[in-house]
Amino acid sequence: MMEFLSGISPGIEHWLILSALLFSIGIYGVLVRKNAVGVLLSAELMLNAGILNFVIFNYFITPLIVDGELMALFLIAVAAAEAVVGMAIFVAIYKHKKTVDVTRLDTLKG
Amino acid sequence: MNEGFFIENIWLIPGIPLFSFFIVGFLIRPFSRKAAGIAASSAIFISALIVYSVAWDYYQIFSQTGAYPVVIPWTVEWLHYQEDLSVYVGVLLDPTSLLLMIVVTTVSALVHLYSIGYMHGDDGYGRYFTYLNLFTFSMLGLVAAPNIMQMFVCWELVGVSSFLLIGFYYQKPSAVAASKKAFVVTRFADLGFLLGILILGYYGFLIFGEFDGVALSGIADQSRLQPFDFQFLNHPQVLAKFSEQGELFGGISLLTLAMVLIFAGAAGKSAMFPLHIWLPDAMEGPTPVSALIHAATMVVAGVYLVARLFPAFAASGTALLVVAYVGAFTCLFAALIGCTQDDIKRVLAFSTLSQLGYMMLALGVSTMASPLGYTASLFHLFTHAFFKALLFLCAGSVIHAVHSNEIWDMGGLARKMPVTHLTFLIATVAIAGLPPFSGFFSKDEILAAALGNQHPVIFLVGMLVAGMTAFYMFRIYFVTFWGHARSQGAEKAHESPPVMLVPLLILAVLAVVAGFVPMGSLISIGQASEHHGINWAIAIPAVLVALVGIGAAWLLYAGKPERVSALVRLWGNLYILVKHKFYVDELYLFLTHKVIFRFISRPIAWFDRHVVDGGVNLSGWSTRKFGAVLSLLQTGQVQSYGSWYVLSAAFFGLLLWMMFSGS
Amino acid sequence: MWNEAIHSLVFYFLAGLSILTAIAVVGSQRILRAALALAGVLICNAGFYVLLDFEFLAGVQVLVYVGGIVILVVFAIMLTSSVELVENHPSSHRKWIGALAASFFFLVTSSAFLSSDFPVDRNALRSIADVKLLGRKLLDYGAEGYVLPFEIISLLLLSVMIGGIIVARKAPQSEKKK
Repeated sequence: MMEFLSGISPGIEHWLILSALLFSIGIYGVLVRKNAVGVLLSAELMLNAGILNFVIFNYFITPLIVDGELMALFLIAVAAAEAVVGMAIFVAIYKHKKTVDVTRLDTLKG
Repeated sequence: MNEGFFIENIWLIPGIPLFSFFIVGFLIRPFSRKAAGIAASSAIFISALIVYSVAWDYYQIFSQTGAYPVVIPWTVEWLHYQEDLSVYVGVLLDPTSLLLMIVVTTVSALVHLYSIGYMHGDDGYGRYFTYLNLFTFSMLGLVAAPNIMQMFVCWELVGVSSFLLIGFYYQKPSAVAASKKAFVVTRFADLGFLLGILILGYYGFLIFGEFDGVALSGIADQSRLQPFDFQFLNHPQVLAKFSEQGELFGGISLLTLAMVLIFAGAAGKSAMFPLHIWLPDAMEGPTPVSALIHAATMVVAGVYLVARLFPAFAASGTALLVVAYVGAFTCLFAALIGCTQDDIKRVLAFSTLSQLGYMMLALGVSTMASPLGYTASLFHLFTHAFFKALLFLCAGSVIHAVHSNEIWDMGGLARKMPVTHLTFLIATVAIAGLPPFSGFFSKDEILAAALGNQHPVIFLVGMLVAGMTAFYMFRIYFVTFWGHARSQGAEKAHESPPVMLVPLLILAVLAVVAGFVPMGSLISIGQASEHHGINWAIAIPAVLVALVGIGAAWLLYAGKPERVSALVRLWGNLYILVKHKFYVDELYLFLTHKVIFRFISRPIAWFDRHVVDGGVNLSGWSTRKFGAVLSLLQTGQVQSYGSWYVLSAAFFGLLLWMMFSGS
Repeated sequence: MWNEAIHSLVFYFLAGLSILTAIAVVGSQRILRAALALAGVLICNAGFYVLLDFEFLAGVQVLVYVGGIVILVVFAIMLTSSVELVENHPSSHRKWIGALAASFFFLVTSSAFLSSDFPVDRNALRSIADVKLLGRKLLDYGAEGYVLPFEIISLLLLSVMIGGIIVARKAPQSEKKK
């Protein structure tokens, strides 16, 4: 058991596929969710997967410097900003249209 | 060489009418009709005065040397094609162009003056003078053209202004039809002109390259010479090269083909058979316009073109023969029809055709070696311009008084309109060729040229037509002015206002004295012709023939109409044939409607409507349908857009990855 | 040996948990549950960072992301009364397209990852005092430093704060009406 577990200890590919999977799930959410808040949540999921990628590459490829970690910090800050603006917009839209159903927000219709 | 002020500023001659055209057309016309007429007329008068001054200076300068060279006092580059090929606009000065300028400005100025009275009270008064100015500008530009390009441009401008003026009474369907007919026929002829220019231009440019650095004799400033210039095209060395260009099918040389095509254009403008059909209809325009355009100036543009390119025509003898026989045939043909027409302006129109035929045949019979016909042709052009313009203006005066064009509605006008009667009589005698009136001198020269250069058939035609001319002109003279009034209008007729009579009188004086201009010493081409006096051996028979014609007219028309009807019954079908102008119009209609429209135009129209338009419609339809399908994608659903975006981004990622991992 | 085994065990556990919670984020009917599931994913991620020896980052993740952003989202959900909103099922063709796009993307990226050869440097020793290094780098204005992005991020946060207030507050006209 232990040998098996240590034998499959995660390499960089495992980590990357994990992050890609999280990212893809985020994509699915962004494309499918009807509630705007849900879309935002999915977008946060994608962002997180991106951050995870930075950290992974920092750990595996350049372990002696901290630039990837720094990028992750910046990204967290940007994600916070994004969430704030997104939420503010949703609140404004909700006041205006009484809904945050993105399938009904189709002003872009040709 | 001390040139006069006006020779240095010769661009003023066409420039003033152009300027006046813009000023009158855009600034004066909307505000004052009276000022428009006066401004337009005074512009032409100024232009005419400048022409006289230029002519005086020119002959002063060159009279010592005795030869009259081609001078180009003013040019400006217009189109620059490549390093050694540009088209200039400019003014060419030689006796021929000066003669035409004098004719154009003089007649135009008098017609302007006359029109102030004739068009008085017409709705399109200002428009009329604008068009007249445009026409005068175009005609002067045509006459002054130093190269064939400028001539072609002005040629078309003349066509346009003629179209505008024929269709001046645009509420009248017949005027509209006539203007369309004139435009289409002349335009069709200009196609030949254009093709001729293309041939001349192409080979001219080839030959031009061969003469690079080689001096051409007799040309002062070769650096500005261009392959389109008349000086170049008419140069003997160039023409010698041209005749080396080989033959086409049937032994027709290239030069002949080009010159015959150009003559087609000239025949269109000068209404030679079979392109004459537009000129009689063109009489739908105001009568002064007929006098200016369809008698004195525009229709002689064709004659002028042949004269201008005469050395080239002479180099191709065949082309010149075509000119001669087409001219002679038109001369006879039109005179025949002229004897039967009842509309005074139509008689004059056919008479114009006939006289133009004279000019053409005179050009056609002359050669570079014995160029008497060239002089005679331009001489006749000169005299004809005055007496024919006079005839038309008198006709206008009569029509103005009687309100009808039919000669059988007139009669007995001699006492009611004495000045018109007198001037009309002078012009009639002049065109009939009785001495000492101007037509006598020029017609005599033409007949002498035809006989002198061994063209007996053409000489006989000329002789015959001289008699017929006298006959049909005196026919309308007797019917119009003698006898008793045949309609209400004729009874109430009265003399025209002075502003109309002054031009009549001036033209009458010119019609009398124009024959005494020593044309033989002023205008010649090739070998300086021996000074030619009156050839009495030809003149006396010609005068006798004319007298016979007059006598016949007096016998038939001076009072006894039953003689005419008896004659008509005698000739029967022949008379009807001639009266209907030999059914040429009907033949054209048959050809266009029954042959060209049915067998060529209809299939083409079908093809156009169903295949070409179908293709266009199909592309439009498919684009619309495709757009409709595509617009379904435009749902406004950002998530759908996102889906497509992610799919395609992943797809392109895949592509990129495969490309770069593969290498 | 033990260490590695535990490492693997924790990784797979956390990975499975994060994927499950992520699916809950995109799939749950109630939006509040989705927000809570997102918090779960984020916490799992914090676990990943610990696993990769980024303890500081893990702390920040929990503090800012879980403690800040998720709470903010929950507030927003309540404000827009999406709490009651039981989401209608999205139309099936959109679901299929979304799934197709996501899985296609996943296949492309993961196959690219698998076929690539990363210059993995496993033997290097990790520096222990990485927080100190982080601070140095963040405020270093030399060639390797990040002081400019740091300042820009602070500006961004400020402008977002102001912008959020302006966008979300009541329109002036409606204030006048009251």
